[in-house]
Amino acid sequence: MKQTLNVFQFYKTKQTFIYEIVEGLGKTVCMVLETFSYIFKFDINFQSTVNQMVEVGWRSTPIVLLTSFFTGMVLALQVGTATSNLFNEPVYVGTVTGFSMVIELGPVLTAIVVTGRVGAAITAELGTMKVTEQLDALYTLGTNPVRYLAVSRLLACFFMLPILTVISNIVGIYGGLILSTNTWGLPSCTYLSQSLDFMTVRTFLHGFIKSFFFALIIVIVACYKGFNAKNGAEGVGKSVTESVVTSMVLILIADYFLTFLLVTLRIK
Amino acid sequence: MIKVENIYKNFGKKSVLCGVNLEVCSGQTLVIVGSSGVGKSILLKTIVGLIKPESGSVTIDNVDITKCAPSDLQKIQKKMGYVFQEAALFDSLNIFENVAFGLRTLTNLDEQGIRNRVVKCLAMVGLKNVEHLKPANLSGGMKKRVAIARTISYKPNYIFYDEPTTGLDPIMSDIISDLIISLKKDLNVSSIVVTHDMNSAYKIADKIMMIYEGKIIFSGAPEEVKSTDNEYVQQFVKGSRYGPIQQTDRIFEME
Repeated sequence: MKQTLNVFQFYKTKQTFIYEIVEGLGKTVCMVLETFSYIFKFDINFQSTVNQMVEVGWRSTPIVLLTSFFTGMVLALQVGTATSNLFNEPVYVGTVTGFSMVIELGPVLTAIVVTGRVGAAITAELGTMKVTEQLDALYTLGTNPVRYLAVSRLLACFFMLPILTVISNIVGIYGGLILSTNTWGLPSCTYLSQSLDFMTVRTFLHGFIKSFFFALIIVIVACYKGFNAKNGAEGVGKSVTESVVTSMVLILIADYFLTFLLVTLRIK
Repeated sequence: MIKVENIYKNFGKKSVLCGVNLEVCSGQTLVIVGSSGVGKSILLKTIVGLIKPESGSVTIDNVDITKCAPSDLQKIQKKMGYVFQEAALFDSLNIFENVAFGLRTLTNLDEQGIRNRVVKCLAMVGLKNVEHLKPANLSGGMKKRVAIARTISYKPNYIFYDEPTTGLDPIMSDIISDLIISLKKDLNVSSIVVTHDMNSAYKIADKIMMIYEGKIIFSGAPEEVKSTDNEYVQQFVKGSRYGPIQQTDRIFEME
C-alpha cells in the first residue's frame, strides 16, 4: 500500500514538473510574440530604449574589455606554450587566437558576461516590480508591462550585444598581440597577419550572427523570470539565480546548434 | 455601475472567494471589511481584472470583464483607479513622474497641464515639495498618499482603495476620508474601499459589507452595522478576540 502511494506520489510529482515546464514554455512563447508584435507595430519607447542601450552597452564595456583582453592573452599563452613544446617555437599563435576569439570566445564570453551583469539586473528589477505590485500598477494605469519594460530591453540587448562582441573580438586579439610580442618575441606584424590573413567576412559573420541569438536568449529568459517572480525578496533572489543559470546553459546549447547550422550554411 | 455575481476564486486547494455577490451604483461608496487574509484584496483585484476568477462575472458599465477581449478590458481599466495596499510606486521614477504617469498614458494633457494637475493632486493629499524625491525617500504613509494622488490625478470613474488609511496618522486618515467623500460628491466617483479602520468606514460608506470565509456575511448601511446582532460583525467592530471569529484557527490553517 505504501509503495503504491509512493509510486502515485512519484507520478504526481513528475506530472506537476512536466506541467510546469509546458506552462513555462507557453508563457514564454506568448511573451515573445507579444514583445515582437509591439516591435513590428513600431510601438516603442525610444527614450527607454536609449537608456537601456547605455545600461547594456556602455556600462558593460569595461567588464567586456577586461575579460576579452585577458582571454586573448591566455589563449596566446596556451597556444604558444603548446606549439613550443611540439615545434620548439610558438607558431599559429595569431591564427588560433584570432579565429577562436572571432568565431567562438568573443560572442560566447560577451554573452556570458552580459548575462551576469544585465540579465541578472533585468530579472532583479522586474522581479522586484512584480512582488511589490508595480506591474499590477502599470496595468491599472493603462500600460502593458511587456510593452513598457520588455520591448526596450530586448531592442537594447539586440543592438548592443553584437557591438560588444565586435569590441570583445578586437580587444581579445589585441590582448594576444601584447602577450605574443612580450612573451614569445613575435613581431606584431607577424601576429596580425597570422590573425587576419585567413579571416574572411564569413568568419566574422559567424560570431556576429551568433550574438543576435544570444541577445534574444538573455532578454527573454531575464524578462520571463522577472515577470514570474513570486514570494518576496527570497523569490526574487531565486528568480535571478534561475535566470542567470538558464541563460548560460541555453547560450552554450544554442552555441552548438548555431555553429552546426552556420558551418552547414558555409558561414565559417 | 459595478456588478459582481457569484465569484469563486481558489488558490490551490484553498477557496478564497466562494460565491461573492455585490453591486455598486454610480456615485456610491462601498466599504468592505473583514479580518486579515479573508480575501478582501483578492476580491478587489478580481473586480479590476488583475486576477481572473474561477467562475462568476464582474460587470462594469455593462461589460463583463471576465469574458471580454484584452483590448476591451484595457478600455474599461482606463476608467478605473486602484490604490494599492503597499502603494506600488515606481521605484525608478521620482514622485512627480509617478503621479504624472497615469496622466501621460490616459489623458491628452500637455506638459503644463500635467504639471499643474500633479501639484494640485499632491496638495490634495497634504504633500508639498516632494516632486523631486524618489519613493525610497518617503515614509510609508507618504507613499500611500502619493499612490492616492496618482490614482485621483486622471479622474477615473471608479476608484478601488486597498486599505487607504493604513499606516497614516489619525489626522491624515481623516483627511483621506474627506478626500474620498469629496471625490464622490464633486466627480460622482464610485468607490470600493477595503479597510480595517471602522471610523473611516462609518464616515465614508454608503454601504458596508463584511467578508468571512470567502462569503459576504453582512451587508448594510453604517447605522445597521452599529445596530446589527450579527455576532461576527459585532466581534469585528468591537475588535474583541472572543467570539465566533477565531484568529488562531485561521493562522494554524494557513501554516
